[in-house]
Order: sequence, then structure tokens, then C-alpha cells
Amino acid sequence: MPEHIDPFREDRQQSGVKTATAEGKEVPLVLRLQDIRKTCKDTKTFSNDNPMMIVLHSEAHVRNVRQLPIETDPPEHTDYRALVEPIYRKPQQPEYQAEMRKLVAGMVKNAAANGEVEVVREFAVPLQSRGLAQLLGLPQSEAEIWIGWGVHIFRDAQLGSKGSEVDKYIFSKYEEMQGSDGDDFFSILNRIDFRDRKLTMEEKHGYANMAFAGGRDTVINTISSILVYLAEHPEAIEFLREDEMHITTATEEFVRYVSPVTIISRTCPHATEVLGHQVEAGERIGLCWPSANRDETIFDNPDEVVLDRAPNPHVGFGFGAHNCLGQHQARLIVRSLLHEVCDQLDKIEFIEAVPEIEEESSYSRQVGYKSARIKFVS
Amino acid sequence: MPKVTYVTPSGDEVVVNSDEPNLMQAAVTNQVEGILGDCGGVASCATCHVHIDPQWIDKVGPATDIEQGMLELEDNATDNSRLGCQVKLTPELDGLVVRVVGQ
Repeated sequence: MPEHIDPFREDRQQSGVKTATAEGKEVPLVLRLQDIRKTCKDTKTFSNDNPMMIVLHSEAHVRNVRQLPIETDPPEHTDYRALVEPIYRKPQQPEYQAEMRKLVAGMVKNAAANGEVEVVREFAVPLQSRGLAQLLGLPQSEAEIWIGWGVHIFRDAQLGSKGSEVDKYIFSKYEEMQGSDGDDFFSILNRIDFRDRKLTMEEKHGYANMAFAGGRDTVINTISSILVYLAEHPEAIEFLREDEMHITTATEEFVRYVSPVTIISRTCPHATEVLGHQVEAGERIGLCWPSANRDETIFDNPDEVVLDRAPNPHVGFGFGAHNCLGQHQARLIVRSLLHEVCDQLDKIEFIEAVPEIEEESSYSRQVGYKSARIKFVS
Repeated sequence: MPKVTYVTPSGDEVVVNSDEPNLMQAAVTNQVEGILGDCGGVASCATCHVHIDPQWIDKVGPATDIEQGMLELEDNATDNSRLGCQVKLTPELDGLVVRVVGQ
């Protein structure tokens, strides 16, 4: 399905822009790497201050709160982000890394003992959820609740939207942690000071909604894509074992290649022009990360996975002030997984896989797998 | 093992003797303030932006095209800007002085 791998190639090479229909409007998608970076830097022309509209299609039917910090612009965004940055940077601490490695080691060991595994729901969803419990400083028993929320908490193909259930959960946790001096996410946000005041419940809700919705399907799709790739390319595991640095470069390369978020949008407060497309005041444009990550003027052999690609200036975690808050956690999960595959397994056997295809008005794109059966062989 | 002096955003001088392969990793290993190295050294995050001391710029060399793509959009970029992850630490750079830009 080559057309599902890079459906933006022709438009990227010819004009650098492609339109997609969303909410009855034609939204120009920016396709080239440097154009995307420039757009990300210009937050006055291309604003994030438009709640529920950060992805291509409105999320107003599944949430009613502004996600923080992403759906704000500098200078507010700078303060909102700084408030939670230390939580999201915990994955850079050695003790945290050791704990994550232990979690992943146990999951790989169990999967190997069980033989066949359906990696999306039996491996990737639990790994993302258990990793998140560690990040948010909550007991692992909480992760067992979140596992039931599925691949995407707003639009799981099998389970439907869990948006209201997640919101109910969020409110109950803030209530439960009132007055707590704990170092978990909810207790911290209950007591933290923001610009000489406490956060409002709406702000706390916005932070938590982001924490649960962001980094969910993206991490899950990346994990399943990596495991299927390793099953189909047995020589890759040997290559990763050769040099510690290969784990680092392979992690970035998988993020580039999978590009788990297709579009993040920006809203134009004033009429502007984007690569020859007129954008009226209040209308939106899209940043197309997977296209930028295959920009052939930057990346040699963009359709190949090159496990030691360096430099690799991808934008799989976005770019600029609003880049991915959970990127350190995502990197740590992937690096830990690659380490444990190398340490524990001889090979991964491919059994069968059903791709997840994102269908939009002007393109279809594979974003991961609906399901994938593999066997961890130790 | 080249000796590198990092002048941090707070003005401290941190001297590092390191056998790490590049300016970013030497800084991260020694917890130099203002260098994060989030992407691990593949030039995708720009959290290792430094200004090379003018006396050293000839020896270190200019930014590559890939670095330029990042640096042209960075606040505080100058002609002496480099991404630390792209500067290999070789014996010829013993004594190098760089200023850490920080976020």
C-alpha cells in the first residue's frame, strides 16, 4: 500500500500544500519541513488559542475543556507549560529510567512466556497505561482502569468514545486528592501556585484531559508499528545490539517513520496567505508532520527505515513552543522496549496484522495497526 | 580527552574533561545547565544550542545545512551558533570555550 505510506509526496514536491475538508471548510495542509517549522514559530499568525480544534476535526462532541498547555499561545502558554514541565521531564532521571526498564522487561518476559500476543490491545495499550501511571506518580492499579479506555479515549473503533468517563474519573481524582501532600499529578496540581493563585478546576481539568488523551494512540501506534517492523526485519534486532547508540538513533527514526500524529491545526486570527492559499480570519491551516518527515530535500531515502540515521531533524514530536510535552516519556518507552527486545529475545515472528488506515477527504494514511499478532521468541 | 569550558546562561564557567563523542553529550553527562539534548543527538530538538567562542570558530567550523535549518528559526542564533550534538570532540578542540544559549 505505497499510497498509504506517503500520500503527500506529489503535492509536497509540486506546491508544498494540499487541502483537506474539515468542518465544512477547505483546510490547507503545510507539507514541507522548513515551511512547517516557520509556521510553528509564528504563533501570532498561526494560533493555538482555539479550544477543541487542535486536531483536524473538532473534538467539541467528546470534550468541553481547553486542553492545557497546548490550546494556548505564548506568553500564557509559556507559563502554563513551565508549570508541568518538571512532571513531564521525569523520564530524564536515571531512577525513573530504571523503573521504566523494569516495567518493560516484565512485560516482554510475560509476552514471551505466553507465546503469541496481539500487540495493540494486549501489549501496547497496557504498556502506555502502565507507563503513564509511573509518569503521573499513581499506583499501577490505576493503569488497569485506563487499559479499559482503549486505543484512543475519544474514538476507539471497538469501544467508542470514553470522553465522559475519563472526565468523570479526572474530577473524582482531584476530589480524592484534596489536601494531599502526595507527589502524584492530581495532588501536585491541586496545591501548585500559578501566577500567585491556585489553578481553577477548569485549568486542572484541561491539564488532565491532555495527559490522558495526548500520547495515547500515538504511543500505542508507534509501539505496534515498531514490533511489526522488527518481526518483518529480523536483521534489525542484530543491528540494534551492535552499538548502544543505535537504540537512540532507531528511536528517533521510528518516530520519524511512523509519525504517529498526521495533522495538528493552527487557527489564523487574521486573514493571511499560506503558500498561495488565502486563509480568512478565524479559519485554520494544518501542519502535516508525516509529510515533513519524508521531505526528500532533507531526508535521503525517506521511505526507508534507516536505524542509524543521523542527523535526523524530524518533527515527529512537533516543533517550537508547542512541541510534544510527553516526548521524553515516549522516547523512554521506545528505548526501553528496544533494549528489552535486544536483551531478551532471539526474534519476533510475524503472524498477521490489520493496518489502521486514517481516511480523510483528500488522503488515506496508515497510522499503525488495528491489530497485529506476533510471537516473542526468547 | 579534550577540555571544554561551557559558559552557562547564569554566567558560570563549567570545565569538562570528557571522552564523550560530541559537545552535547559531554555537557549532558556533566549536567551542564542549559543543555538538555532531548533527541539524543540527531539534530531534531535544538536543546543543545551553543555559541562557539569567536577564537575557536575556525577550528570548530560552521553549522551544516541541516543545523542551519534549525538555527535560522532559533532565538539568539548568531554566526557562531552550532548544535552541540553536531560538534565532534576531537583532540584539536582541547581548550574550546562555548557559551550555552539555553531555553
